[in-house]
Amino acid sequence: MKRALHLLLTLTMLVAVLAACSSGTNKNGPSGSASPSSASGGEAAATEPPKKVELKVFMSFPRFKDQFERYFAQFKEKQLAEKNIDVTIQLEMPNADQAKQILQSRLSSGDAPDLYTLHANDIPTYYDAGYVADLTGQPFVAKLYEAVTETVKYDGKVAALPLESLSWGYLYNKTIFKEQGLTPPQTLDEMKAVTEKLQAAGVKPFLLAFQESWIPQLMMALSLGGTVSSSHPDWIQKMNEGSASYADVRSVFDIIDIIMANGTDKPFETGNEAGSAEFANGKAAMWVQGPWNAETILKVNPEMDFGVAPLPVSSNPEDAMINLATSTSLALSPTSKNKDVALDLLNYILDDKDSSALFEELKFNPIATVHQYEVFPWVNEASSYVSQGKAYLDLKLPNGVTDETAKLLQSYYIKDVTQDDIIAALDKVWQTAVKSN
Amino acid sequence: MPTTRKWKPSAMLLLFVFPALVFYCVFTLAPAIGGIWYSLTDWNGLNPAYRMVGLSNYVEAMGDRFFLKSLWFTLKFVVFMLVLQNLLAILLAVFIEAMGRSKVWFRTIFFMPNMLSLIIGGFMWMFIFTRVFPYGAEKLGWSLLNQSWIGDPRYSFFSILALSLWGGVGYLMVIYIAALQGVPKTLKEAAAIDGAGALSLFRNVTLPMIYPALTIGVFLTLNGSFKVFDAVYSLTGGGPGRSTQVIAINIFEEAFSFSNRYGYASAKAMILFGIVLVISIVQLAVMKRREVRA
Amino acid sequence: MISPKSFQTASIGIRQTALRRIGAGGMFLFLLIAAIITLFPIYMALLNSVKTQGDMLSNILALPASLEWGNYTDAFRKTNYVRSLWNTFVVAGTGLAGIVLFASMAGYKLSRTPGKLSAFLFGLFVMSTLIPFHSIMITLVRISSGLKLQGSAVGLGLLYIGLGVAVAIFLYHGFVKSVPKELDEAAVIDGCGEFKLYFAVILPLLLPITATIAILNTLWMWNDFLLPLLVLTDFKSYTLLLSTNMLFGEYNNDWSAILASLVLAMLPVILLYLLLQKYILHGISEGAIKS
Repeated sequence: MKRALHLLLTLTMLVAVLAACSSGTNKNGPSGSASPSSASGGEAAATEPPKKVELKVFMSFPRFKDQFERYFAQFKEKQLAEKNIDVTIQLEMPNADQAKQILQSRLSSGDAPDLYTLHANDIPTYYDAGYVADLTGQPFVAKLYEAVTETVKYDGKVAALPLESLSWGYLYNKTIFKEQGLTPPQTLDEMKAVTEKLQAAGVKPFLLAFQESWIPQLMMALSLGGTVSSSHPDWIQKMNEGSASYADVRSVFDIIDIIMANGTDKPFETGNEAGSAEFANGKAAMWVQGPWNAETILKVNPEMDFGVAPLPVSSNPEDAMINLATSTSLALSPTSKNKDVALDLLNYILDDKDSSALFEELKFNPIATVHQYEVFPWVNEASSYVSQGKAYLDLKLPNGVTDETAKLLQSYYIKDVTQDDIIAALDKVWQTAVKSN
Repeated sequence: MPTTRKWKPSAMLLLFVFPALVFYCVFTLAPAIGGIWYSLTDWNGLNPAYRMVGLSNYVEAMGDRFFLKSLWFTLKFVVFMLVLQNLLAILLAVFIEAMGRSKVWFRTIFFMPNMLSLIIGGFMWMFIFTRVFPYGAEKLGWSLLNQSWIGDPRYSFFSILALSLWGGVGYLMVIYIAALQGVPKTLKEAAAIDGAGALSLFRNVTLPMIYPALTIGVFLTLNGSFKVFDAVYSLTGGGPGRSTQVIAINIFEEAFSFSNRYGYASAKAMILFGIVLVISIVQLAVMKRREVRA
Repeated sequence: MISPKSFQTASIGIRQTALRRIGAGGMFLFLLIAAIITLFPIYMALLNSVKTQGDMLSNILALPASLEWGNYTDAFRKTNYVRSLWNTFVVAGTGLAGIVLFASMAGYKLSRTPGKLSAFLFGLFVMSTLIPFHSIMITLVRISSGLKLQGSAVGLGLLYIGLGVAVAIFLYHGFVKSVPKELDEAAVIDGCGEFKLYFAVILPLLLPITATIAILNTLWMWNDFLLPLLVLTDFKSYTLLLSTNMLFGEYNNDWSAILASLVLAMLPVILLYLLLQKYILHGISEGAIKS
């Protein structure tokens, strides 16, 4: 209360000073374009001039900027034709590493974009903080596959529109595997044999693209996911209670060590785009990266033949499993001033007519009944593991743990930290995160 | 009326100082005091409620391996900058002063990077380090260039150093040039007639004259390098991992990246404040004394 | 960039003993190499900003096979150049106007008024020059969000006033001492009011130090990155530097567009520098020595 009063006081003082001392120089009204009218809704008569509405959309998808710009242009036309609303969409697409920091600072300063992407695993944190609007009952929900809907539900409510729903493991170059007479290994020993054979043939086994820290992090997502789901099913719960440690699942490092020891050079100068190009051109046989990168890879080399396989985590082939996850999802800010238009746009993402083409172009998995395109081969490959029961739901880690893991794995590669350091640091972050909730 | 006379100057003073004081209090003093306050709390960005935790943030920081590492890394950076930046700036200044008409050209060129943000400079150097150098290594066979200049902390320290020197030497050079121009010609000529060699001329005449400028140079370098942010942010972002994190990046990440631990980050910021304060005072005292003696 | 001609004139200019000439030659060589290193990144950025990505990868050092201006139109659009440039002007303009006006008023009066109050206020201002920005930034960001200054270029300018005013007061305070006191007194006898005296007589006399302060502060605000990054949450208020940084994050492998955007970001500053070089260099050394 005191703080608010203090701020109010200083603000009035500031205004007074400004008005008194610098007429003209400091007052710089909203520049240029007219600001959007704040009233929402509006079925204006067709004869009236179109109502101007501005939407801010924030997506961590720089690689799909062109596609979304085009799709939103279609929406603009549709909205103008059907509702006589002239929508301006301010689309912003920072890269994944920057996105979270930018988004969080906007949300906490009350400057939320109308629509923004977040990882489905972060929904609980954002929902509890009041940054996510309830989307239950929106038309798009009925079109979603039941299993996919579950991944974006929290507290019984649909909290976001899933964009990327995946069954993923690591990617491998089928051509190279065929040439060397290899099949995707299911155990650590088999993986070692594969890397040795590839090395002997002069092929780099793994592509390493560690410049953006979310990519090395994927190794841990898979190895921890496989390990926990197969042999420590109650580990997450115990971690939340404070009675477990990463030391209990130390074996997650076994596969990470193999990958790091058999990777390409200069990983920290290779970002996602550069990595995709290198993988597409056969610079390495495997890449721990999801099929969400398919579009980026095939853009470089449309002939590239790659597959998806589960990452081995132990000596038991049953433990090598496919990760089922919904990652990037689109949420609506409850503070949006143009909720109706924002909801229209959200529903348009799963439009009966246009959505299928968008999802196919992005090479996303079909997530709703409106998606009619033929399923991509790598999806079928992953599904074949799933149908054998070799799959698990992506782990839900507390806020901050994934980011910390990302940093630590970069450090681990350059031997700046040891396994013990990582275990201690992650245990600590986990506890801090649990406590702050 | 005598009473009016007495308070009138004070009232006038307050009136003139008032606008500056308001801005200063709100945007510098209040945040500084607020920083001390929050450093004693467990305030976190996503959760508006907080409580006092005493000095536990400070205790945690002193045992925070990454924070201590960033302190050490910054210290190393400061020492290198202190020596190299001043040495190079003095060299450039002395050499330029010895030039004829090319003087202006050189001065213009060396100062140019100072006009640019190190964010821009950092991206340009990133291009040099990650594209031009490997190209040179491949095409010209200079394998020395073929290092992971921003990905391997052994080398990225020097990459950051190179960028910072590139962006900073010109500034100090200008200061040293100004100091050199203050050295009377007659003094130099007299010494030259005495048969003093170039080196002893420099040591006995020029150096004492630029001593005050050296104080400034050392002060500016210390102050700037302890707070270094842009150069690291643009080149390595503090990575890979946290291997090139300086204090400012460490605080920034703690506060604004994922964990949003404002209280804890504030404690780290106060520690930085303390360090800068102590070093500035010690340095000023030492240099002032030496100046007097010289 | 150094023409052989200036090399010649430089060598001819030195007519000293043979030994000295060798020394001078060595110095010149040192400076020349240093100059090449200094300009190299800027030159490479310029050179490769007009190449296609393929041309760049195969001939990074060579002249472009053909001029690819598309990189520039691309960068121009992606950084929203005009808007970003305007925002940068607004930030620096707001900040500068406030700093010069408020600091000169305060510096002048503090310097002219003897007594404890004056000394205390002056001390209060000077104290802050020791506070590192990072120590206050967290709370500063919260305060600016509380005052609804986040996401606005003018708002950021206001923050800069509060951050920059102390050093400027210090500089004005020192300079005012060199302005004869008799002037004030004469004006007061003339019946000139305090404010009129200040604006009509004093402020014009402070012009030399004002120029120095303007240069130092404009450079600082123009090139500052961290505070805008934290405060300008609305990307429509992004400054040139933030837009460039954003583009770098988005198109991190597309060096042609990035280099073009870097050149665009450098352009205003370099032009200004070449035009006002004399004043800038003078202002810099003046500012450093005085403080």
